[in-house]
Amino acid sequence: MANYHPDLDLLSEHAAGNLALAPAACVSVHMSYCEQCRRTVGQLQDLGAVLFDALPGEPVAEAQLNAVLARLDETPPLSYAGSPAWAAGKTPAILQRLMSGDFTDLVWKKITSSLSISYLKTGDPNFEFALYHIKAGGKIPEHTHHGSEMTLVLDGGFSDAEGSYHQGDFLLRQPGDAHSPTALQSEDCICLAVLDAPLKFTGWKYRWMNPFLQLQAG
Amino acid sequence: MTPNIENSGDTWPTGRRTDEWSECLTLIAQNEDRAAFTRLFRHFAPLIKAFALSGSKLSATVADELVQETMLKVWQKARAFNPEKAAASTWVYTIARNCRTDMFRRLQKFDTALAAEDVGPEQDSEEPFALLQGKRSRDRVREMMKELPPDQMQILAKVYMEGKSHAEAAAELDLPLGTVKSRVRLAIQKLQIQIDR
Repeated sequence: MANYHPDLDLLSEHAAGNLALAPAACVSVHMSYCEQCRRTVGQLQDLGAVLFDALPGEPVAEAQLNAVLARLDETPPLSYAGSPAWAAGKTPAILQRLMSGDFTDLVWKKITSSLSISYLKTGDPNFEFALYHIKAGGKIPEHTHHGSEMTLVLDGGFSDAEGSYHQGDFLLRQPGDAHSPTALQSEDCICLAVLDAPLKFTGWKYRWMNPFLQLQAG
Repeated sequence: MTPNIENSGDTWPTGRRTDEWSECLTLIAQNEDRAAFTRLFRHFAPLIKAFALSGSKLSATVADELVQETMLKVWQKARAFNPEKAAASTWVYTIARNCRTDMFRRLQKFDTALAAEDVGPEQDSEEPFALLQGKRSRDRVREMMKELPPDQMQILAKVYMEGKSHAEAAAELDLPLGTVKSRVRLAIQKLQIQIDR
């Protein structure tokens, strides 16, 4: 059960369908772990539906109806197996779709001795959507952001100066927030990170790498 | 434009679990009933078209395309509709919203393996107590929407119907972003939408 959630502004924009593709995917992955956020977003969609019902209808020509009726045979109603979309203990469906395989099948780029990154393609041209693998007890060198960063714990956990985070926890960092997350001692940590600007190491030891950390959006 | 909630009460008679539109969806799911589909089309197609045109992001031709695409999805997915979990109008609205998002992405030539319904929020809970609570909260949201002050309704309409981000709504209404966010939050609070943290 997640303890850190997207704030209400973010959930509201998500329910309205107004988030860009990569951030929407990240919030959805959080929801696959979080019953509370599913409920809140469900109610926000009811809000949207009330507004939808109250729209002054625009006339639709009879030809449109006939055109749709003529196409119904091409697309008969689908059957559903009835398995819940949010099965516990499974890799969230969105990630499965993007990974074709599991975490071990991905191409990991080694950044430091304890950090590797694998970039996934969402097709969103403005955001990097990447998995971070931090070895048990390993530390990501202190870094800051030009833009904002969404982080979601998929496996294991990590901590920073402000708290410790476990599976399903969602964090939003604003531009300029500096932190140095450390994976829990007991197991490796895998996180999803969604960025709109590259991260920037602040310590002298890793600063030379910054030019190599271009945003891998797309 | 501020939507008029008063006129929409007839689609959701209080105290009834299902309404005419969920019955239509059930008939489609069970019998591929075209007459039920036609009734559904006549009710929802004008709303979907209005939704497509609100915020004037799409042309009339594209709006008609959105109507067709959404209604075909409604037909195709009818068996996934569960009247215990969602009001028919919420379900159709969600499909229309996803189709509109996909249409924007196609127009922007996104190359993506993900459709809006993959990353979009869906509600899903089988637990009887949660289902009952869900039903109560839907009725409450519907009831309380009538009481919201116009300044909050106006912003909700921009965000939920016109598909404007909070920042875009702020720019269009010439308001500080903080004001837009706080009006959305106030509205959500008044509707007693549950946020348990």
